Amino acid sequence: MLFRRIYQFLIVYIVGVSGLLLLKQILGLSDYVIPGVSLIITIAQEAGRGYFFDVLNTLSIAVLGQAISVILAFAVGIAGRKSSWIGSFIKMTAYNIQAYPIVALAPIIFILLGDGFVPRLMIASMICYFPLLLSVLGVMSAPVKDIEHFYIVTGRMRWQLEVKIRAFENLSKLITVISGSATLAMAGAIVAEFIAADAGIGYSIRVALYQSDLGKILVALFMIGIVISVYQGILESISEKVKRVMMVPEDEI
Amino acid sequence: MRLQCRDLAFRYAEGGKKILDGISCSFTRPGFHSVFGPSGVGKSTFARIIAAGNSHSYEGELSIEGLDTILYSYNLERLPGWSSTGKHIDRVVAPEKEELKRELIRIFKIESLLGARFHQLSMGQQNRVNLIRYLLQDFNLLILDESLANVDEKHRQSIILSIKKLFPDKMFLYISHHLMEVSTFCDQIMVFGASSGKKSYVMVEAQNCLESQAVDKQKRDKTMLEIMNAF
Repeated sequence: MLFRRIYQFLIVYIVGVSGLLLLKQILGLSDYVIPGVSLIITIAQEAGRGYFFDVLNTLSIAVLGQAISVILAFAVGIAGRKSSWIGSFIKMTAYNIQAYPIVALAPIIFILLGDGFVPRLMIASMICYFPLLLSVLGVMSAPVKDIEHFYIVTGRMRWQLEVKIRAFENLSKLITVISGSATLAMAGAIVAEFIAADAGIGYSIRVALYQSDLGKILVALFMIGIVISVYQGILESISEKVKRVMMVPEDEI
Repeated sequence: MRLQCRDLAFRYAEGGKKILDGISCSFTRPGFHSVFGPSGVGKSTFARIIAAGNSHSYEGELSIEGLDTILYSYNLERLPGWSSTGKHIDRVVAPEKEELKRELIRIFKIESLLGARFHQLSMGQQNRVNLIRYLLQDFNLLILDESLANVDEKHRQSIILSIKKLFPDKMFLYISHHLMEVSTFCDQIMVFGASSGKKSYVMVEAQNCLESQAVDKQKRDKTMLEIMNAF
């Protein structure tokens, strides 16, 4: 799973760079506009190490932001699973807010909070929060009647059991959504850094953009791709293990 | 104990076709009673109305006396998959019913299945495990909506006879498609049929056998004919 993710990224990256190099050849562009392979390698040797740590910095924000989003989405999703007025209110609010592009709110956050750790974390969390919330709400508000019936009629149903049943029955869906939200959190952190921050790979890309240095941007993109592929691969491997353990009978473990 | 309904009627949508119409019946003694009939005539709807009582919408009168706890079980129910069936059963059994649990596990022949997860069992095994959970609860009336579907005939017989023996003071409403089985082992049978303008059901007194050997074949055949000719 981990290596498949990396292979997939490398294929996409090589195809993308090859397309740029082809464009450079066809249009006869200079190295200043699109650098050649040797120049990209030279830039990678010079800036690669620094960019790698920048990506790790961004990833740490993304991981933290994703964790906050997952906790929040489950808390709100569980609270909003009932068809009571508060449940309907939470669902309606979530559906309406998620329709609004969160990135557009980023300037407000930066004006109020300035550059730094908190605004980056907030934007990363907000970007992956709403898709997560909608999935959790969908899962938590759909009864699993064939399982829940017994506990309801015998008076054994508690909210914890209800949540456990619904989460377990939709484990694959929830795991897919959570691992998929890693990309969203990373995108959110990069966007936040790109708009106004003083650290992270998004900030480095902004600097490279002002220098019109496509070579640096390509190296940064490579680092982002590799790191996020590894992160997603790890998440998917953990997910697979969790699913296997949950579905195997005790005497086989 | 008394379960009585008078002119009971039900339709799913306002102005829609009545699924149940003019049902008047009375079950006044404990035992294994049955609701019998082809698919789609309203057997499960009738059972759900009884189980839900006044919290279900219906027309007519439904009177339930001495049946404080009514449980409704059906054959598509599942147990959660996060632990073994044995552990799930253990969690829903009161300590004073441990002996009964062991007895039922032996009668239902599920000893070897207790370590497996529910989804690993065959449909017949799943139904047996599910039914045990209900039998270990406090109830006055247990509705078994095809709860023994997919269980082989020999097992079904011994399970029904054991239930009758172990729970002589409880009332059961058994929804089944097995004509011979209900004719042999049930007490009162409410036979539903496609309504042709008159009654949509008839009540038949069945053999209510307590032992498989004690079947009077002639009487049973008569009951079966009565059911088959009901509509």
